[in-house]
Amino acid sequence: MAGERVPARPRAGRPAGPGAVTMETRNEFPLPDLSWEPTAEFWAGAARGELRIPRCSSCGRLRWYPEAECRLCSAEPLAWETMRGTGTLFSWVVVTHAFLPQFADLTPFIPALVALDEDRAVRIPTRMVDCDADSLEFEMPVRCVFRPLTFTGVDGSVAAPLFVPA
Amino acid sequence: MSEREWGFATEYDDVSGAVAVCGVGESDHTKASGRTVQEIVGTAVERALDDAGLAPTDVDGLMYIPLPEQFDVAAFHAHFGTDHDMWESRAGGGMRWAATAPYEAAHALRDGRARVILNTFGVAWATQRSQMVGGPGQSHAQELYKQNLEIPMGWFPQPVYFATVARRHMHEFGTRQEDLGAVAVTCRRHANLTPAAVMHDKPLTLDQYLEAPTIVAPFRKEDCCLISDGGAAYLMTTPERAADLARPVVEVAGVGLGNSVTGAHWAQQPAFTSTPQVFAAPVAFGMAGIGPDDVDVYTCYDPFTIHTIMQIEDSGFCEKGGGGDLASSGALAYDSGVLPTNTHGGLLSHAYVLGIAHVVEVVRQLRGEAAAQVPDAAIGVYGGYTGPQASTLVLRRR
Repeated sequence: MAGERVPARPRAGRPAGPGAVTMETRNEFPLPDLSWEPTAEFWAGAARGELRIPRCSSCGRLRWYPEAECRLCSAEPLAWETMRGTGTLFSWVVVTHAFLPQFADLTPFIPALVALDEDRAVRIPTRMVDCDADSLEFEMPVRCVFRPLTFTGVDGSVAAPLFVPA
Repeated sequence: MSEREWGFATEYDDVSGAVAVCGVGESDHTKASGRTVQEIVGTAVERALDDAGLAPTDVDGLMYIPLPEQFDVAAFHAHFGTDHDMWESRAGGGMRWAATAPYEAAHALRDGRARVILNTFGVAWATQRSQMVGGPGQSHAQELYKQNLEIPMGWFPQPVYFATVARRHMHEFGTRQEDLGAVAVTCRRHANLTPAAVMHDKPLTLDQYLEAPTIVAPFRKEDCCLISDGGAAYLMTTPERAADLARPVVEVAGVGLGNSVTGAHWAQQPAFTSTPQVFAAPVAFGMAGIGPDDVDVYTCYDPFTIHTIMQIEDSGFCEKGGGGDLASSGALAYDSGVLPTNTHGGLLSHAYVLGIAHVVEVVRQLRGEAAAQVPDAAIGVYGGYTGPQASTLVLRRR
């Protein structure tokens, strides 16, 4: 995109800059809470290398996010399915300023929304990896890869569905 | 899901002409100051009372938002040394409530629950940031879907969400980096004219904007609102009582509230590049009996430059997608005569008081008292926003 300049990667472990967000929370934050029931199957699937998304048992549409009630038909029951792991790039940004101290070692990185091929209304918050930000295009085909998430100052890692150009 | 199903308007009955804003006041707006929220708001309330020519004991209704340290009845009495009975509502404050508090107030006045109602909002986030608490990201970080689906991916916090929206808006409508820059530069020019603005002494040119490094591309720092300490207050009563007070009468002509069914989960909002102003503005304009072309001065909740462009479009000031061109045409400048917008500098360059100072600014414009005054402004609008909701307040000089 014209006029965008991405500064050099800051040195590892630098403190987060202005606008930084801090809060008291779980020790493993910003890793997900694998025990939180609504998204437990999403993360359990990722650990097996599967992109798991629930479908509403009543209206038959994918329910994303996996809320207790279907936003479209108000029904509660849902069933998890494994997606093909393909989609298109809906939008993305290039983060060069770490808003969380835990993101300091990641910059620059590319948070993105990917529209799933099974239902383009379902957008997965994710990160584009193994690519140059300048090479990204709207609606380009992308595919899911599973990579460990790690964060500055946080023990452990969790496998997550990230995306690469298809 | 069709675009039509992504949100809805709250049903409002007609309050046109039922309530007037009779006094306005702001605290000093500063970087980290060491002040508490209640000290900040207390100053703003004193100034609003002075403006209206009222005493603390004249105020018998109080509105605020139930966030920590807001100016509730106990704080009011502690500040002024009073102990009279007060009607209290927690449906006030800034953001979308800065527009809808007058709707609640109109009902309280009509029902005889209060005669003079105060709405306030304040933050000490610049001070609290140095103590590593508070700030706009904190409440989002505690929302569990965000904590388990967005934050681990790095899609967090607000600058990331809305830079993603801005890039998509660029794709769908041809909005340019220069258009975002035009919003930032126009707000800065207005702040340079406004002595109370945090960025009063800091000019910004479009070249400077474009040369600045991105922090969340396509956003630069100048696309993002300030973090500052400050507060504001406004007093409401019936237009009849307001006519007996010190200041020219500014009455509420219309109020509207719009809602997005996906709430704060912006990633899933079907109309990704729109705001619930789509639903709010027609209600407020209809109640006021006006169209967008009748508006002389506009303020809108502008946490990021893209929000000004989207709300201008969604409120009907131009066709969807035309907001960027409008900004670059110079239409938002106070002396342009087309759509003077955020004439005090907005959240981007005036102060981060979450919209309540925007309402104060509209009132001053309609009284002819603003620093960057729009000539003969008679109808002014505030567009409020929280993300899940947006609101529109139409004010009219009587």
